[in-house]
Amino acid sequence: MKPILRLEQVNKRFGGVIAADDITFSVMPGEVHGLIGPNGAGKSTLMNLISGIYECDSGYIFFDEKDITKMPAHSRARLGIGRTFQTPRFLQRSSIRENLLLGTDLGDHFNYAQSYFGKKGADFEAELNELMQYAGFTFDWDDDITALPFGQRKILEIVRAMLSHPKLMLVDEPAAGLNSSEIDNVISLLTKAAKELGIGILLIEHAMDLVMNFCERIVVINFGKVIAYGSPSEVSSNPAVIEAYLGRDNDA
Amino acid sequence: MIKLLQNKKSQIKLSTMITLLIAVLFLITMPRINKDYKMLCLNLTLIYALCALSISIMLGMGGQMTFSAVAMMGVGGYFAANLCSGRLGFSLPTFPVLLLAPIFSAAVALIFGLILLRLRGTYFTFSTIGLVQVAWSFYSMYKPLFGGYDGISGVPKLSIFGYTPSNYNEWFYVLAAFLVIVALLVERIRKTKLGRSLAAIRDNEVAAKTLGINVYITKVIAFTIAGSICGLAGALYAMHTRYISADMFTFKVGVQYIIMAMLGGVNNTIGCIVGAILVGMLPEWLRIAEGYVNLLYGVGIILLMVFMPMGLSGVVTSIIKSLKKRHKKEVTAIVKKAEGSEV
Amino acid sequence: MVNTLVGLTVNGLAMGVIYALIAMGLVLLVRAVGIMNFAQGDLLMLGAYISCALIVDLKLPFWAFVPVALISFAIVGIIFMATTYWPLRNASYPQAVIIATMGAGYALKELVQMAWGSIPRTMLPLVIDPKTGSAAILRFFGVNLQWQFVLIIGVCAMLILMVFILFEKLYAGRMMQAAAQDKYAAELLGIPTVLTIAVTYILVNIVVSIGGYMVAPIYFASTTLANLQLRAFAGVVLGGFGNLKGAVYGSLIIGLVESYSTLKWSSYKDAVVFIVLILVLIVRPQGIFREKIADKA
Repeated sequence: MKPILRLEQVNKRFGGVIAADDITFSVMPGEVHGLIGPNGAGKSTLMNLISGIYECDSGYIFFDEKDITKMPAHSRARLGIGRTFQTPRFLQRSSIRENLLLGTDLGDHFNYAQSYFGKKGADFEAELNELMQYAGFTFDWDDDITALPFGQRKILEIVRAMLSHPKLMLVDEPAAGLNSSEIDNVISLLTKAAKELGIGILLIEHAMDLVMNFCERIVVINFGKVIAYGSPSEVSSNPAVIEAYLGRDNDA
Repeated sequence: MIKLLQNKKSQIKLSTMITLLIAVLFLITMPRINKDYKMLCLNLTLIYALCALSISIMLGMGGQMTFSAVAMMGVGGYFAANLCSGRLGFSLPTFPVLLLAPIFSAAVALIFGLILLRLRGTYFTFSTIGLVQVAWSFYSMYKPLFGGYDGISGVPKLSIFGYTPSNYNEWFYVLAAFLVIVALLVERIRKTKLGRSLAAIRDNEVAAKTLGINVYITKVIAFTIAGSICGLAGALYAMHTRYISADMFTFKVGVQYIIMAMLGGVNNTIGCIVGAILVGMLPEWLRIAEGYVNLLYGVGIILLMVFMPMGLSGVVTSIIKSLKKRHKKEVTAIVKKAEGSEV
Repeated sequence: MVNTLVGLTVNGLAMGVIYALIAMGLVLLVRAVGIMNFAQGDLLMLGAYISCALIVDLKLPFWAFVPVALISFAIVGIIFMATTYWPLRNASYPQAVIIATMGAGYALKELVQMAWGSIPRTMLPLVIDPKTGSAAILRFFGVNLQWQFVLIIGVCAMLILMVFILFEKLYAGRMMQAAAQDKYAAELLGIPTVLTIAVTYILVNIVVSIGGYMVAPIYFASTTLANLQLRAFAGVVLGGFGNLKGAVYGSLIIGLVESYSTLKWSSYKDAVVFIVLILVLIVRPQGIFREKIADKA
């Protein structure tokens, strides 16, 4: 099975700061792959490099074995890369329905003219209802997005990404700011995405127990460099990782 | 009444009915109470309303402030004037030219859009100011195509399959018909993928990109549609007034259109039309305050921005929202009471 | 040929420094307050009218004129801030302030007409030849130049330098920029944002009004003076938006382009300036000089 995402020696500098230094790893379809590291290590930058918001200085990014290194962000999204953000990015002035439609617009692959002249979008209500069972809450479609509390909005962002039928999802700190039952919902949603729908998931997260229990492989980044790469048990016992998070033990 | 407001579908039906009612009343009464000159003004406001709608697309839906509406209006206007008045050695029938004007303007807008929308945000806005200045300069100087300071006169009367609107009252209905059709077309955009994508670009350009929206092309499409509508407005103006000249297409007038849209509610189709009518008719209705009109106007704009930045339609929408909220509170209170009494 | 060129160059530079004053004001307001002021030209116009009133109507001698004018300009600056900025400082719609300034522009144009009539007001040239009683002439490379143009270039250049030093080099300037970029953080750092913003408005208005004063003898005080701001906009964009140095150089270039274009395309002066701008932007969308801050749009 070919990896759905492959990074080869990706480099990125911002002035004097090295954000990504020779980064190489891959994500398989249906795999839950963690991306962890101390704050400021370069994880969100890496997400932005993958989704195309930043351009790599050198190196390659392959999506489904296609070279997307020079592709603009919207083309990458249309190939099937979904993304969620640490703080959910919704259209504040629109209703929930409109915000979700943005997700299905991406999945539908039809253009403005087709949409204008009445071609009905795929009926996603059934799919949405199924996903919402995992999400664990209900809402009124026509409510403003601002009516939902923060936790529900974060979960909804994952739902929106899934509605676009991606092959890869970049999930940025889904558990931040959520209570434990909401986190359970997130896990069941992401599990469905990976195991049932075969979506590869690259997950940034700080909650260690979530990462260790949920991820199959983990890549650890510090100061833009990969310092460890492997299964949760391998990574958690790796001295470089422990040092990065906890600092070196000075008294021998 | 409150119950009616509860169901979303009946809500839409109700507001549509009210709008239709007001519109019909407007259409019937206006020609009766207005005399010639006032009617001329009213007709012009209907034409301005088209330009205000173009602002609604670019600024309201897409969040891009552009002053180019006047330049595009000139494109359509001079197109119509040149082809119909016979000054180029031939003259084409008016109705087909009227229908061709928006298509021609769309082509011109497409070219400029492709060039100018490579610039971000404020750069783009300033480049549209530049565009208007350049256009105005040519409109007022270049005699062969634009007639220079004298403009082009002698535009023949519009003739639609033999029907010729012969006075301002009849023109009123013709213009109203065009306005309604365009308004419906614009409103439809809001509900479709294009409208959503523009909203995404307006509210969060980065997120829009990750949602697969090609920001550049979407903006160009919006610019083209907006330009096309302005071109139609220009052609209608030329045929209605039977004369066209460069002082219709100055930067100052361009600012007017933006203000019209902001007054009514830049993201609301009906709002833009109402805004255009108000701003257009204000000088007439405030005849008494002759020397102070601009002052009141200027102060009014500041007050508008302070208290009603979403325009009149914004005020209406927030009233409806607070009514809804209050209704919801009542309902939950009733439900709570019922639950309480059951225990 | 050289004569005309020299004459055009001086003319272009003189107008260029005026545009630069307007442009600097624009950039200052963007960087220290965070707004785009579409009434900048109207403020210049008001400055011209006030100067006329003080010199022609009240016949103030120069030593009295300077302080009175400066104080009036400062007051106008405060009033402008109070009406267009203060009520909107927390507006959710960023374009609201821009439109409010447009409204202020309308109001200002009407006010000056109400106060001083609609006929353009004239003012004596800044440098007068005592023998002829009209503009003093300087012979320079065989060309007759009005001294006042040279004066304009000199005075405005000094002003530009002063503003530049204040804003870019001194701590006061950095305080003001911090206030604009993140009000909350700036206040936590002890920067009195209200004060910095007020100072910015005063400074901007003084600078722009002095420009109005210098331009009045040449172009007369009238409502069309406000249109000069369009050239200044072009200069700001040309130089790279948000960049003080760029705004100045951009405006100088615009002044020169405008002046030279009268050689061939006199009536299309406006078009030439903006075509140049658009062409530059196509080739180099971020302006000639690199941007210092990210676009706020």
